[in-house]
Amino acid sequence: MVGGDERALGDLYDRHGEMAYSLALAVARERADAEEIVADAFGQVWRNAASYDPGRGSVAGWLATITRTRALDLVRARGRRVRAIERAAQADSTGLASPMGAPADPPDLRIERGEARRLVARSLGDLPEPQRRVIELAYFGGLSQSEIAAELQEPLGTVKTRMRAGMEKLRGALAPLLSGGGP
Amino acid sequence: MTDHAWSELAAPYALGAVAPDERERFEAHLAECAACRGEVGAFREVTALLPDAAPAATPPAGLRDRILREARQARPIGRGRAPVIPWLAAAASLVLAVGLGYGYLRARAALQQASAALAARTDSLGARDSLIATLLSPDVGTAALAATGQAPSARLYWSPSRRRVVMAVFRLPPAPAGRTYQLWAIAQGKPVSLGVFNTAADGRLTAAMQLPPGLTFELTAVTEEPAGGSPQPTQQPFLIGKVTPAD
Repeated sequence: MVGGDERALGDLYDRHGEMAYSLALAVARERADAEEIVADAFGQVWRNAASYDPGRGSVAGWLATITRTRALDLVRARGRRVRAIERAAQADSTGLASPMGAPADPPDLRIERGEARRLVARSLGDLPEPQRRVIELAYFGGLSQSEIAAELQEPLGTVKTRMRAGMEKLRGALAPLLSGGGP
Repeated sequence: MTDHAWSELAAPYALGAVAPDERERFEAHLAECAACRGEVGAFREVTALLPDAAPAATPPAGLRDRILREARQARPIGRGRAPVIPWLAAAASLVLAVGLGYGYLRARAALQQASAALAARTDSLGARDSLIATLLSPDVGTAALAATGQAPSARLYWSPSRRRVVMAVFRLPPAPAGRTYQLWAIAQGKPVSLGVFNTAADGRLTAAMQLPPGLTFELTAVTEEPAGGSPQPTQQPFLIGKVTPAD
């Protein structure tokens, strides 16, 4: 039975390990750190599995939330936040959504998973650059709206407008992947 | 703030980009506004897809083995050899039913289903069995703990015969470093500690605690205390609930 339980954890890793690692790397920007973050995140899932609540989303979403939180904690603890922000802000026109010369998805990933990922990356990449940037700074940089405004030296109202507009566009573009089928 | 202005916070809230003071006010509004909750839910789904926008990277080859190795060394809460992943569904149906406010009967129906599913796994009951048994026992009592002017809430189930308390906590941020939350039963005006707890990063917790023998109480309450808990509450409770005895 212990073996079966560990198989479940192994299956979870096989399905979502790459997502968690990619997310951790996008936030922390260091491969060694990303590895620690993902190991910690799966450890937390393992220890706290009883607190998982499907009413608030998928297991993948839960894992992503834990991974992102741990990655942001680590970046803040190391004072590397500014650097990550600078890199995000200096990113080229396709920003974080562009491949960083990373290997392609392994062939055994399910096709629909690959398609979903491409749709998400493309939808974010298709946003006007200022809208994409504020969303990336919030999600991958862990910044609040006022921190983003300070970082970009833009009025807070502008940041708020861009974030809302960008998220509305994403909601429309990603409607096929959302439970309500979009707005 | 008008309702329309509130709804403009749904997207940044789902992204975690709302400043703490504004977030608190928005969460208080969310507790009363189904439309805004719906908007937040939709934008949370969008946010949950954003990891897919991270550039794909292949994890190091040894990471899977390392995770499984570390899992073997750190057993989940409860019995040392309790399978936890299958238990997710049962625990979740409790939190889901309670969280949506369906009430005790719905929660019990969901738990009976979960219990039946679990019964098939004759080798895997233990701590989880005790939790469900507490909820299903004929003498189970409940209490809904609501906050004064704050967002968190909690729901308790307890069984005197089994001397177990099961608590589900919602929207309560984890206690600060060096602090903990403590659950109290108020018996004849005197607080009796039922145990200390903390919530996960998402503000939630489902936990089982021991009930002292022979204890009857009229109120339950939650305070924030120094780590390790206090013999008596050191502050006013921020969550308090009146007991509904077994029917």
